[in-house]
Amino acid sequence: MKELIRALWRSIQQDRLAMFGLVTITIITLIAIFGPFIATHDPTHMNERTEGIALWFGTVGAPNRGIRLEQAISETTLRSIVSADATQDSGDYLAVGNGGFIVRFRGDERHIEASPVSVQLRGVASRAGRELAVGDEGTILERIGGEWRQMAAPVSGILQAVALDPNGAALVVGDNGAAAYSSAIGAPWVIVNTPLARHLYDVTLPEAQAGFVVGARGTLLRWDGSELNEEQAPGFRNIYAVDSDGMNNILAVGERGTVYRFDGDSWSEMQSPVARSLRGVKVIGDRAAAAATHGDLMLLEDGVWDRVRSGYERHFRSVAGDETQFVAVGTDPYINSLTRPSAEHFFGTTHNGRDIFSQVIYGTRTALLVALVAAIMVTVIGTNVGLFAGYLRGKTDNVLMRIVDIMYALPLEPFAMVLVLLTRPGIQIIILAVGLLTWRTTARIIRSQVLSLANRPFVKAAKVAGASNLRIMYVHIAPNVLPLAFLQLAVAMAFAITAEATLSFLGLGPPRLYSWGTILHQARLSGAWRTAWWWVLPPGIMIMLTVVSVFFISRALEVIANPRLARK
Amino acid sequence: MRKLILTKILQSLFTLWVILTMLFFLFRLGLPDPTVALVSDGLSPEDRALVIARFGLDRSLPEQYVIYLGNVITGEFGRSFHYNAPVDTIIGERVLNTLILMLPAIFLSYTIGPLLGVLLAWKRGSKLEAGGISLGLILRSAPMFWTGMLAVMFFGINLGWFPTSGMRTFPYQAANFLEKILTLDFLRHLILPTIVITLYYIGLPMLIMRNTMLEVMGEDFIEFAEARGLSRMRVMYRHAARNALLPVVTQAAITAGLAVGGQVVVEVVFSWPGLGLEMFNAVRTSDYPLAQASFLLMATIILVLNLITDLIYSRLDPRVTYRSAN
Repeated sequence: MKELIRALWRSIQQDRLAMFGLVTITIITLIAIFGPFIATHDPTHMNERTEGIALWFGTVGAPNRGIRLEQAISETTLRSIVSADATQDSGDYLAVGNGGFIVRFRGDERHIEASPVSVQLRGVASRAGRELAVGDEGTILERIGGEWRQMAAPVSGILQAVALDPNGAALVVGDNGAAAYSSAIGAPWVIVNTPLARHLYDVTLPEAQAGFVVGARGTLLRWDGSELNEEQAPGFRNIYAVDSDGMNNILAVGERGTVYRFDGDSWSEMQSPVARSLRGVKVIGDRAAAAATHGDLMLLEDGVWDRVRSGYERHFRSVAGDETQFVAVGTDPYINSLTRPSAEHFFGTTHNGRDIFSQVIYGTRTALLVALVAAIMVTVIGTNVGLFAGYLRGKTDNVLMRIVDIMYALPLEPFAMVLVLLTRPGIQIIILAVGLLTWRTTARIIRSQVLSLANRPFVKAAKVAGASNLRIMYVHIAPNVLPLAFLQLAVAMAFAITAEATLSFLGLGPPRLYSWGTILHQARLSGAWRTAWWWVLPPGIMIMLTVVSVFFISRALEVIANPRLARK
Repeated sequence: MRKLILTKILQSLFTLWVILTMLFFLFRLGLPDPTVALVSDGLSPEDRALVIARFGLDRSLPEQYVIYLGNVITGEFGRSFHYNAPVDTIIGERVLNTLILMLPAIFLSYTIGPLLGVLLAWKRGSKLEAGGISLGLILRSAPMFWTGMLAVMFFGINLGWFPTSGMRTFPYQAANFLEKILTLDFLRHLILPTIVITLYYIGLPMLIMRNTMLEVMGEDFIEFAEARGLSRMRVMYRHAARNALLPVVTQAAITAGLAVGGQVVVEVVFSWPGLGLEMFNAVRTSDYPLAQASFLLMATIILVLNLITDLIYSRLDPRVTYRSAN
């Protein structure tokens, strides 16, 4: 055995292709063993992407209410949008989102502005020559001299919203009753005491030193320029957004389609056609718009809320608008399907957004494992049949060789299909089909070798010495067919890898376990294989590399098993 | 010679009988309720009674076995669940569709392959030989369904040179099989799958031919032929190659068996309406009678092809005939 390995090593060293095969197989085996560490993703996970989107709607006089989706404004969630301050001629809208993202809408152009932070920005305000953005970790940004600067914050928690009054005084609110005030551009922020420690979600300041703050569980606070006082809300639901057009035209919206209205004297509840969580509201004179999660939108016209079906299942988080149209922004987590290879997904993704690179890596394990088990089964059966047929001859030989003939008449793929038809797809079916059918070649080859060995003097000597048939077969003859058996093991392995891939491709493999064939099976099922080359190429190349490496190595084995070849 | 043919035919029939028996027991004993293998849930009570009577499903197992053998001989395979039609009429043409795709490809592989093999042996030690051997092994290592997918993707979709599915462009009219295939449209459909199958199978006969050629080239009669001043070309292809053909023919018989199985994936990739695709669909829809009949026909095709190669073999190697005559 040791000698055999040494001879094999020598033979491989002399053959450049065999060396290539050995190195490749070693790498592939390592990939199989360390698969979970190499794979970048969970192969079954449907990878999603988030993208900031804007949906234009409620256009006066336009068909279908002018619904128009604007995609991929950012790679993160957009959380808040406001009309940009007209006096500064600084565009139409200003929006902020996760990752410190700030974008200015100017006509059809979108300008991303440099941001000094990378935390989530949740609120934005633009009025009276002042622009502010607030977010997590007590972040307050102010645009001073055309540049966003981070201001010293009086709180460290999450800040949800900011509003400016007509004179440029700002009020910011946040979680756990956090609130702060800044009187003018660049002025320091002062903590404002709140009567409740609830989360505050939004603020509106329609007039100088006057406005409302809304928050969790029906929290309503009135701002009088110096302190916040609790007001009686008509309900106890979370209120997520508030907007106003003057002190007697204020709307607040919240969970389960809640809408509250303030007419200058008192708050009342309004009928709403939407049951989702309303996250944003915008009031302009008699008109108003509100946006909710799961793509729900509604418009207030002639005193009645009307549901607008956008046709898009997006989570909206904020609404802005003018006299002619509204715009809702939000997040769009969508399945990252059929993307080309990128730094994030080396081999791209499937139609379900699954990472193909990770699937190929995990597939290596299945392919090698199935191939190895099947090949060992084939070699063990084949070698034993060959030994018995070749040594015992006569009737045994006849019967065994008839069986081999029958095996040759059974086509592998259809046979596996019959097995699957009678049971169910699975790894054991593939091993069984390959193992049961393909020992035929090994048996024939070993048999002819044994036939010639059986006439050699050492066998005759053993016979004379009274050795039993079994002893002669396994002790005297078997070691001599070992090199050939190893060669057949390699050939069987190459065949088994192809067979496993083929049967898995036909959908006969285990559905929850990735193999190279399964990946291609799913590519075929999805119909995307005709164009998604990144889905088809990698598993096939892996099959090819593995099989050809085994072929190359088996050439070196052949030289040992069949010394006649070496001489030539 | 005649006796040899007769023996071979009898052997093939015996093999077929064993496969028949194996299938019978697989389907009758492998399923919890053997009637589901033949009687579909959707059958009308009359049809149901008819099938049960025809296959003796209410009788004992040995009786069923005898009835089963009789049915197979007369081509009675039952009714397909999926098509709700007799299986024999469904798969009749499928067999021809499969053969028309498979035979030209195997023929091409086993004519071009050995010719290339001779060339490799002739140019022994050259870069051509080394490249040829590697290419042969690489072609053999790329699974057919994958190269088929690539061919469809590149030549079919990307370049748009060839149609990518089926045998003919719909709608078409053809009164019979010959009318269907004797058209340019059919040839266009045939090209891609044929190339894919040929490329996969060409490597083996090429490499085997090269190896045998190297053995044959060392023999006396080659030296004699060269001494006679015959051209190298003539010596190689007429004298040496002829004597090196036997192992290739042996391999052809084995390849026929592999090709029938491998055919399934090619038919699936190219939506070729052959036996393989039919069997694939039958397995997906649990159409037991159709699957069983398709399998049986595929095994029969292998046996017939093996019989033919056996006969070619005995023509090529007179020793085979002597041996059987003695």
